[in-house]
Amino acid sequence: MEQVLLIEDDDRIRLSLTLGLEDEGYTVRGTATAEEGLREQRRSPADTVLVDLMLPGVDGYECIRQLRARDDVPIVVVSARDDTHDIVAALEAGADDYLVKPVAVKELSARLRALRRRARASSVAAVTALVFGDLEIRPEAGEVAVRGEPVAVTRTEFRLLCELAEHPGRVLSRAQLLERVWEYAYGDERLVDVHIGRLRQKIEDDPAAPRHLVTVRGMGYKLQR
Amino acid sequence: MRRPGLRTRVAAAFAAGAFALSASMAALSYGFTSQALMAGRERSALRSAYLDAGVVHAGLATERPDIPGILRTLNTGSTRRALLHRDGRWYARAADAGLTDAIPPGLRGLVEQGRLGMQRVDTDSGPAVVVGVPLPSSSGFYVIDSMRELDQTLSTLALVLTLVAASTTAAGAGFGWYLTRRVLRPLDTVTAAAREITAGDLSARLDPATEPDLERLTTSFNEMVDQLSTRLERDRRFAADVSHELRSPLQTLSAATSVLDRHRTRLDDRAATAVTLLSDEVARFQRLVTDLLELARDDQPAQRAPVDVAELAREECQARGLPADLVRVDGAGTWPVDRRRFTQILGNLLDNADRHGGGATAVRLGQTPDAFVLEVDDEGPGVRPEDRTAIFDRFVRGRAASARGDSDGTGLGLALVARHANAHGGRVTVADRPGGGARFRVEVPRTEP
Repeated sequence: MEQVLLIEDDDRIRLSLTLGLEDEGYTVRGTATAEEGLREQRRSPADTVLVDLMLPGVDGYECIRQLRARDDVPIVVVSARDDTHDIVAALEAGADDYLVKPVAVKELSARLRALRRRARASSVAAVTALVFGDLEIRPEAGEVAVRGEPVAVTRTEFRLLCELAEHPGRVLSRAQLLERVWEYAYGDERLVDVHIGRLRQKIEDDPAAPRHLVTVRGMGYKLQR
Repeated sequence: MRRPGLRTRVAAAFAAGAFALSASMAALSYGFTSQALMAGRERSALRSAYLDAGVVHAGLATERPDIPGILRTLNTGSTRRALLHRDGRWYARAADAGLTDAIPPGLRGLVEQGRLGMQRVDTDSGPAVVVGVPLPSSSGFYVIDSMRELDQTLSTLALVLTLVAASTTAAGAGFGWYLTRRVLRPLDTVTAAAREITAGDLSARLDPATEPDLERLTTSFNEMVDQLSTRLERDRRFAADVSHELRSPLQTLSAATSVLDRHRTRLDDRAATAVTLLSDEVARFQRLVTDLLELARDDQPAQRAPVDVAELAREECQARGLPADLVRVDGAGTWPVDRRRFTQILGNLLDNADRHGGGATAVRLGQTPDAFVLEVDDEGPGVRPEDRTAIFDRFVRGRAASARGDSDGTGLGLALVARHANAHGGRVTVADRPGGGARFRVEVPRTEP
């Protein structure tokens, strides 16, 4: 049974989402504050975390950062804010996906499944190692290394990197990446952009002038030596 | 007629001032100079005539005077002609013959009365002054002194003065033009700041120190911008609050009804019907709120990027259970549009065709020389000509839908289409489809206007 941690300060939303997700087959633990949520996650880690942005005390962004600092648990933001700034800030803090309220329980469940699926998919990809100059990707082991030094990436980042690595030198559009990594028929392309940005911070010597993970203007991204 | 601009008016005023000043100065100097030159010239003519008259008088004193010989001895140069009137006969040097007509009768009368006379005349060879000197024994000595040289000098002077006046006038106009530019230059910074603010940069302010004379303008301008940005910020925060306050309860409603829906089989018929009503209404309310919040968003221009609109159109059709081959593409299938907005344009037009037009029958993606064109056809009753503008207003529903009591739509779909088309600098129109039904046409210009 999949464990979901739901950090949401609105009691009614927390309760209704808990009921809805339980109907979809998840085990849900809910907390009203980020502090409680972080404590709960330390005590017994859930498979996925759902987090609201406007929380009393420690806010959602900080909560995401602290969760991300610990491990690569998939984090989905469920927030009433649909401002570009808020969405990008949450993704930059380390969230894997962003949903704007009201979100249907079925949709939420589909997002969670997609996140879990790609996490598994990457761990069974039967390729030994993909090498791009000083960048090395081992899909089987779920490892990334730059000049032999292992780099910690989240599962979503890893899945994104693998998609690009499986088509070396070929441009993949944002829409293609959204579909392959997040399983969105169409969605918010900022998801891709922010994740690419986060990956560059980790694997590029100069994230502002990337050598491996390059943008092809008007088309998308590609991975090169 | 349009009133001429400030710069033109100031330049014209400067030109008029400069012209009045320089023209009167020129006229005055011409008057004084010509008078002085003329007087001097007359004095010298008189003096020479006197001297010559003395010589002639002495010559005539002899027994049988050789008058032409006497006249020839006179040193007259090339500008003076000497004539002698004696005993009713005119004497002149051979070269000067035929000049007697030039002597004015009035002057002759004066000389014959024994008085000295001088008069300006016009001769065939230009202006001249005629001096008449009475001599004893009823003779009159006349000298025609040509003033052509002086006349030429004066016309040169007049020309020079005219040129000076003209160039002073032009310089005045130029100075006025330059001056207004200098004076208006601080206003350029005001214009630039206003433009930045219009473009959305509310941090633009003017520095009152740069132009102390315009301090009142800059201060009130800055106050206006402060007020404006405060108001905008308040509106933005209000919109964000409204968004949050509406979305949160909707989240609960949505999740709770989905639970009810799932457990419908355990409910009796009446309760199950109520649950169906509830979940339909919640879904509609959700769409309404989402559309309203979308409309309430501030008018930001579309963020254009290449989008595979052909693929997008097929996806939107399939998502509504329509065959993907409804989509016909003419020309490039990738357009520079705002993906989010264009997706809503497509979706709302397809939904509209479904609700009011019996379903879309064709989706065409075409191009004109300066625009991308999306057309969505249906085979419904069409839109009456008098309704063709109003249907793009908010909360306007099709007549057929109202008659059916169908309240599935939000009444905002086409308003959103119009909003998104406008954000691209384009527009949406509706016409009759040949063969019946309506044809919605969205035109998006290739480049931002």
